[in-house]
Amino acid sequence: MDSLYLLIPVALVFVALGIKLLLWAIDSGQYDDLDKEAWRILNDDEGQDSHAQNSSAQDSGDPKP
Amino acid sequence: MADQLARAEPTPCYHCGEPVPDGVSLVVEIDGEPRPMCCPGCRAVAGLISGSGLDAFYRRRTAYSERPVEEDGDFAAHYRVYDDPEVAAGFSTTDDNGQVSARLLLGGITCAACTWLIEQSLSRVPGVLDASVHLQQSRLDVRLDPTVLPLSELFARVESLGYRPQPFRASTQREQSATEYRADLRRLGVAGFGMMQVGMFAVALHAGDLQGIEEQYRGLLRGFSLLVSSFVVYYAAGTFFRTAWRHLRQGALVMDLPVALAIGLAWLASAWATVSGTGQVYFDSVVMFTFFLLLGRFLEARVRQRYAVTWFDAEAALPDAVTVRRDGQWQTQPRRQLQPGDRILVKPGQTVPADARVLGGAGAVREDTFNGEHLPRHVRSGDAVYAGTVNVESALEAEVLVDFAHSRLAALQHSVEMGRSGKPRLARLADRIAAWFVAGVLLVTSATALAWLQIDPAQALWVSLSVLVISCPCALALATPAALTAAAGALRGSGVIVRGENALEALSRCTHLVFDKTGTLTAGQLSLDRVHPLADIAENELLAIAAALQQWSNHPISRAFAGVERTLDCDSVDQVVGAGLDGVRGGQHYRMGSAAFCRDLCPALPQPPDDALYWVALCSDERPLAWFGFGDHTRAEAPAVVAAAERAGIHTGLLSGDSSPRGPQLATELGMAVIGTGLQPREKLEKVREMQAGGAVVAMVGDGLNDAPVLGAADASFAVAGATDLARAQADFVLAADLGGVTRTWRKARACRRIILQNFAWALGYNLCAIPLAAAGLVPPWAAAIGMSLSSLLVVTNSLRLNRRETAH
Repeated sequence: MDSLYLLIPVALVFVALGIKLLLWAIDSGQYDDLDKEAWRILNDDEGQDSHAQNSSAQDSGDPKP
Repeated sequence: MADQLARAEPTPCYHCGEPVPDGVSLVVEIDGEPRPMCCPGCRAVAGLISGSGLDAFYRRRTAYSERPVEEDGDFAAHYRVYDDPEVAAGFSTTDDNGQVSARLLLGGITCAACTWLIEQSLSRVPGVLDASVHLQQSRLDVRLDPTVLPLSELFARVESLGYRPQPFRASTQREQSATEYRADLRRLGVAGFGMMQVGMFAVALHAGDLQGIEEQYRGLLRGFSLLVSSFVVYYAAGTFFRTAWRHLRQGALVMDLPVALAIGLAWLASAWATVSGTGQVYFDSVVMFTFFLLLGRFLEARVRQRYAVTWFDAEAALPDAVTVRRDGQWQTQPRRQLQPGDRILVKPGQTVPADARVLGGAGAVREDTFNGEHLPRHVRSGDAVYAGTVNVESALEAEVLVDFAHSRLAALQHSVEMGRSGKPRLARLADRIAAWFVAGVLLVTSATALAWLQIDPAQALWVSLSVLVISCPCALALATPAALTAAAGALRGSGVIVRGENALEALSRCTHLVFDKTGTLTAGQLSLDRVHPLADIAENELLAIAAALQQWSNHPISRAFAGVERTLDCDSVDQVVGAGLDGVRGGQHYRMGSAAFCRDLCPALPQPPDDALYWVALCSDERPLAWFGFGDHTRAEAPAVVAAAERAGIHTGLLSGDSSPRGPQLATELGMAVIGTGLQPREKLEKVREMQAGGAVVAMVGDGLNDAPVLGAADASFAVAGATDLARAQADFVLAADLGGVTRTWRKARACRRIILQNFAWALGYNLCAIPLAAAGLVPPWAAAIGMSLSSLLVVTNSLRLNRRETAH
């Protein structure tokens, strides 16, 4: 159990690093526009043309005439 | 909703979703299929998007795009003023390498896919080094090489995609809200990390309480808990202490007071227990409190600020570049340099840039900015024209009378601000409950402390502390934001953007639903209703003749012919200002316009039919040909919206700037009261104030600049699709698709209020059970922690029920 005396401080160092990293990310503006990023991570595929064909038939949910 | 679905829907435009007018057959091939378009503007934009291989935009978007404004084609000329370094300096910077970083405010961004479209499309333009769109602020940050791509070309490029660019001007308010957002996020992040760490130590400590733990390890774990939680309390919870203290000095009891007390006392007592090696520690509760409270506030602030676009001002409706006479010739100059006494030239289709007196030319201006009326007013030499109105017929030369600050448009903007500041503040449910709750908890805690001082002084601190801890402000603090977030999310999915601060709550109590007429209950555009032939000619031939004449006109009725197929052409057409069109085809003379104008050519023209339409005559030099009746169509979904509100006991009424008899007639058709017609923006505002003074909670639905003041003053307000930016900025809700959103929104607002009340009922009920137990000294810290978490979880889960959409569209 003596290892706790070493492991807990080590864990705290990592926590401090994590916080530091998070604050850096916030300050560099990476969290400023959560709506866009939430959408982009699902949609920003460059190889769009490959599946453009098969998804065009039942696409986007726009009402059909 | 079944009645809505059963109704035959007109074909929606694939780009903007507005119904395709009868007779229009514009098509763009997207994803290999022909798609219907409602107007040449949409076709141009869709054609460009599809032509650049960005068809994916249409699959990815979650809302229809905005219908592009039809303007005279040459965008680049209009924007050339931004190439002037002095003007450009207002919104861009140039670095050492000559690269320009510019910020543009974009109108018409309806969903996240728009950001993708703009970024993708711009990144293919030579000269653009980097482009990124900020969705929440509708802001485009772009870095470009001005030698390859001048700024004016950038503006034109964005405009051709169907968005309305303008320079992004920094405001202190906007900077401040961005700074606050980051500060909130930092606090939340630190509290989150702290919670995980201290939580881990706490699990070990609680386990130790149950099965025994050596004193030295307990001291170690407590010591590190103290270290981490001290940092969290200092860094993340500091805001509670400051707010509580600020309000306490003014004698106000706010939710932050028991929060600050609970956090402060629990931390102090636990620190004392750690140092002295006695008693109990509440470090986990301290950091968990902090985290959940910050989370609740963060979510609430996000809902409130998400679309808080309050910085659109009336001035943005004016053109940045004007044609002005300097040194004996016409020059294009920035509008801000205009002086009273300058001579300006306003071409047809352009917005009048300043209040001015007409010097030369006769024409007509559309003043829907001020009165909502879509038929233009005729002006001739000596008449005044106002900034923000649109010149529709022929070029006008005018002398500037006053600068912007003294213009009629600035006065309108001023009354918008008046409307907003005079808005009655409905006290928020949460605030009212919080004050009582705070007083109650403080009272019970003091009573407990006093009682235990009599019974067992050594236990007094610990027991009163556990009362504070278990009273769980978490559930109370989460009750409102969780419900608001869920409701706003669901509404957004059904095409309603929630912007206003207390709008959902005000709307849930709304007693009167007031509509503007033009552009709100109606489509806001004249369309051809009836053709009344006077000669033995087929209807489509009459239409073809009319369309051939009308393509030379800028008058609003000419748009009604935009979709008619061109089978004929005139040899020459003259536009006679204030009267109509005069054309020659195959040696025959035609006239289309007012009765008097046509009788000049053909005295046999009879009176127009009696129907309340706007009648325009067509005749040749031989005989009268037809009367064309134009009307502004009622939106298809309007009757259902009015009926649903009346069924639910909400009074509906009409408040219109238009003075024509069509207003009262429409109100009777829809079964709503007439509150007033023919009113100026200020008079509308007074009407709503009167109703509010009589105890009514008023929700207003409007669209134009002239509605902006009254939208600002109403307790809750809606701007419909296609509303002007200023109206949007004042409205609490922006409807992206149809008027049906009004019904969905008030239903959701009522549901939201129900859920909030349930949440409060639960939080209070939980406290009623838990506090007596704690006061009796029967609750160990781990039970308090579990109770608190479960209570918060229940509140959040209950709120998520609001996330269900009412109807798919």
